Amino acid sequence: MRPPDRAPRRAPLLAAVALLLLLALPVVRHSLEARMTLHMLVQFPLLVWAGWLLATALPGEWVRRLNAFNVHGLAGLLFIALVLAVWMVPRALDLSLVDTRIESAKGIAWALVGLALRLSWRQAGLVLQGFFLGNVLPMTAVAGYLYENAPVRVCNAYLQDDQVQLGRTLTWLSLSIAAWWMAGMFRALMRAESHPGVTPFDAQ
Amino acid sequence: MVRTVLVCLGLAWGSYGAAHWLTHDFSAWTAEGARRLEVELQPVTAPPVQVDGPHIAGGNLARLLGDGQSVTVLDFVYTRCPSVCLSLGTAFQQMQASLELAHATAPRSQRVRLMSISFDGQHDTVPVLADYAARMGARAPQWQFLRVPRAQELAQLLARFQVVVVPDAWGGLEHNAAILVVDPHGRLVRIFDYGQQQLALDFALHLAERIAP
Repeated sequence: MRPPDRAPRRAPLLAAVALLLLLALPVVRHSLEARMTLHMLVQFPLLVWAGWLLATALPGEWVRRLNAFNVHGLAGLLFIALVLAVWMVPRALDLSLVDTRIESAKGIAWALVGLALRLSWRQAGLVLQGFFLGNVLPMTAVAGYLYENAPVRVCNAYLQDDQVQLGRTLTWLSLSIAAWWMAGMFRALMRAESHPGVTPFDAQ
Repeated sequence: MVRTVLVCLGLAWGSYGAAHWLTHDFSAWTAEGARRLEVELQPVTAPPVQVDGPHIAGGNLARLLGDGQSVTVLDFVYTRCPSVCLSLGTAFQQMQASLELAHATAPRSQRVRLMSISFDGQHDTVPVLADYAARMGARAPQWQFLRVPRAQELAQLLARFQVVVVPDAWGGLEHNAAILVVDPHGRLVRIFDYGQQQLALDFALHLAERIAP
């Protein structure tokens, strides 16, 4: 990651705080939560982005300490997979609209996902990345399929066509991420073949 | 590495706990499923909101439902509804017919009544409700239509019974339609799908059997 002596960076920290404050504004929150698709595919990723920015602003010393609990990014990737799994439960979406405790937990969890992603992804290397994606992408695609094909509304607060659109997008999104990651992996493998000193399992 | 493994175990345990709580021990994945389960486990008392309708000049819903003598089969509708309320209406028509038939042979069936509450207070005035009730073939007092005139009280009732109403793209209202059974103490005790009207009616008759004479 970054050299340990690097001072905390102020710009990403300010950007992360500003983004989190913006997302917490009732008017922004309500408009992003008005549709199921926006809720899951815009609000969640923005929270993740805020967490990612926060991670880039962490002092090197903190990152080193955190790494001791996150060898090969294992804990971080597990955390991401678990948050993803819990937030695929439709009741979680409905609850976050009516219960401020769940809403706050949601904000914290998804921002931490961004943080964990930044601190774990490169460390994990190709094998663990592949294992992680091999778990979460099929799960996401299946959830997407279920949302798209469920005969009833799975969320009381959202309409069926919104749910169908979300399901379809989730399925395509997981396929696209899989294709994107595999393209990167093949590129790394080919590079390793042309440079015998480098192994493809070094961090990408 | 040991520390990482411990963190992983902690995360797995924590998320299991969260998922266990969220899904009521992995038995309800949707808010609607959880709502039905919660009502079964812990009946929900109707709030004391003011209601009126074609056959009720005004009254307190909690007192009306909790009269100690009647079991109420309840649904939430709006009269402009083109789809699901009509299915509910058909279910209620069938229940009304069954109850009227049963009156001769099973006197306790007279203690089961049907009630439809509109959540579209602005449009569904008392005359509109009267007209809709007539079109649905509702015969008061067996089947009554009500509304909650005050918006704040309506919101309170909907929140208490977890009825969620969402405007749709065609100017209508999407809602989690269901058949609700309220016991003689005015407590919502069970929620059925609108296709399960026979089950709902049997359950209501069973509750009526247990009312002290």
